[in-house]
Amino acid sequence: MATLAQSPNPDIALRIEGMNKYFGNFHALRNIELTVTRGEKIVVCGPSGSGKSTMIRCINRLEEHNSGRIVVLGTELNDDVGNIDEIRREVGMVFQHFNLFPHMSVLENCVLAPMLVRKLPRPQAEEMALRFLEKVRIPEQASKYPGQLSGGQQQRVAIARALCMQPQMMLFDEPTSALDPEMISEVLDVMVTLAADGMTMICVTHEMGFARRVADRVIFMDRGEIIEEAPPETFFTASRNERTRQFLSQILNH
Amino acid sequence: MGSLLRNQKARNALLQAVFVGALGSLVIAGALIARQNMAAQGITSGFDFLFKPTGWEVTFSLLPAKPTDPYWWYFLIGIINTLFLGAFGLVTATLVGTVVGLARTSSNDLARLLGRSYVDVFRNIPLILQVFFWNALITNLPPPREAHEAWGFALTSRGLYVPILNVHGLAFAGATLALLAAIVLPIWLGRTTRLDSRPEQRRPAQLGTAVLALAGAVLILFLGRLPDTSLMSVPALRGLNLQGGLRVPPEFTALVVAIAVYGGSYIAEIVRGGFKAVGKGQVEAANSLGLTPWQVFSCVRLPLALRAMLPILANQYVWLMKATTLGIAVGFADFFMIVALTINHSGQTLEAIGILMAGFLIINLSLAALFNRINKAIALKGSQLRG
Repeated sequence: MATLAQSPNPDIALRIEGMNKYFGNFHALRNIELTVTRGEKIVVCGPSGSGKSTMIRCINRLEEHNSGRIVVLGTELNDDVGNIDEIRREVGMVFQHFNLFPHMSVLENCVLAPMLVRKLPRPQAEEMALRFLEKVRIPEQASKYPGQLSGGQQQRVAIARALCMQPQMMLFDEPTSALDPEMISEVLDVMVTLAADGMTMICVTHEMGFARRVADRVIFMDRGEIIEEAPPETFFTASRNERTRQFLSQILNH
Repeated sequence: MGSLLRNQKARNALLQAVFVGALGSLVIAGALIARQNMAAQGITSGFDFLFKPTGWEVTFSLLPAKPTDPYWWYFLIGIINTLFLGAFGLVTATLVGTVVGLARTSSNDLARLLGRSYVDVFRNIPLILQVFFWNALITNLPPPREAHEAWGFALTSRGLYVPILNVHGLAFAGATLALLAAIVLPIWLGRTTRLDSRPEQRRPAQLGTAVLALAGAVLILFLGRLPDTSLMSVPALRGLNLQGGLRVPPEFTALVVAIAVYGGSYIAEIVRGGFKAVGKGQVEAANSLGLTPWQVFSCVRLPLALRAMLPILANQYVWLMKATTLGIAVGFADFFMIVALTINHSGQTLEAIGILMAGFLIINLSLAALFNRINKAIALKGSQLRG
């Protein structure tokens, strides 16, 4: 576990420096610089194909970055499998399509990683799973299977599953984009509660109401670059960037 | 009447009645004509021949057999031989298929190339040629006195010699069943809903049955020991031949190898397809939770792939069971060969073929029913529009 010499600050949850990512010849992420302190809530937005998802998928090595460095919770993300495992244990992720394990009940989905990775005995793991299912407001669905739940319920289970690893940071990759409109708020409510508890969060989302309510900073990306980084009130009302204003007008006035 | 004909339900019922009636009369007419023709040739139709002694020897049997035994006993021997060959063939084909299929989905270029070449070669050569090839290969091996021995095994022109326990055949069969029970019962106890109300009893019940079944197996083997012999019988050269151990005839070995190699190439494709069907998202979720590659494989990829594979696999197993009838091509006394010999010796062609077809129907329908049950038991619950 190599800690970055320049950043001994334990308050830094994530530091990305000069990170580049290519898919073949396509330059997907250009010179990304980002620092997130513990407890901060970041909302990442931008047009489709701008590299938002790729960027947060690089943070837990679902995608491999090609150059630059990423330090997550004091651990440098490189080819060292030990470091990758360490980071994945401490960083939870919620996906657009939930990605629950369809052959396991909700409870089994939640206890799997704590039992296998954290070596928690089953009774403790189940007790904790029920506590988090209660937090996402579906303890009564514990014995059901993902296919028997609505999209909103599945996404809340996915959040509970990630929380059961007791991560120090959560990544959300468009958590409400695949949901029917009436289910979006039940998922956002859970995320707001989580934010109020002080979780470090990085959310790729187009829910601008959510960004206004919880974000400490909004990051706008376009064509693989971070174009603008601002607190929500500045971002939504006083952006001086042409591309940001154009994007905001497209998603807000419809 | 006119209005009845215009009623949709009445019309359908009438059509079906006409169809069933026509089919029935066709079958009855066929049977009557066959009976008449056979009577004209002096053959008495019917199943009385089943209780007559056969008068000929069978080359391979797991049960005691002598020429004075009746035909029905020989048929039983044939069915058991077919099931025996089928069981070995299906299990080995599955092992080969799993290894090759995993190689084909591997990220290693060399493994993928080898897997692909394997499938390309063995899937495209007719099974009967492969059976002849392996049979010729084994019968052209050096004779027993020049054979090479390794770990008690010896492959010679007279077949494969393997070490065995010196126990009575029935005791061996009983012990095998007990061992199977030691595996199957704990799995069943782990899944049955009957213990849902008493989950704390699951573990002890599983352990208890496993230990009991294992102890049973050992006890059966101990009781079935042949007197005045060592526990293991290992093949060893005595004069010109190998003594001791069990000789697996070349034709049986050739058939098992052919079915394993050929069936394995098909099963490899099924395995590959099954793993491709596993959603990328589930694997990413498992990775993001910090599971190790082996845990991702055993807890997520394999169980999901298995569910995608099972229906196609059942189809393949039924196919391979039917392929055991190639035993007749190299002289293995499978069900088909016994029926063919019966026809030669007794002339009861239609009856014997009828029994053969009914036998295979029962075997394969049972196999299909078993797989349907497993399939239903492990089916994903709820709608699965998205993985």
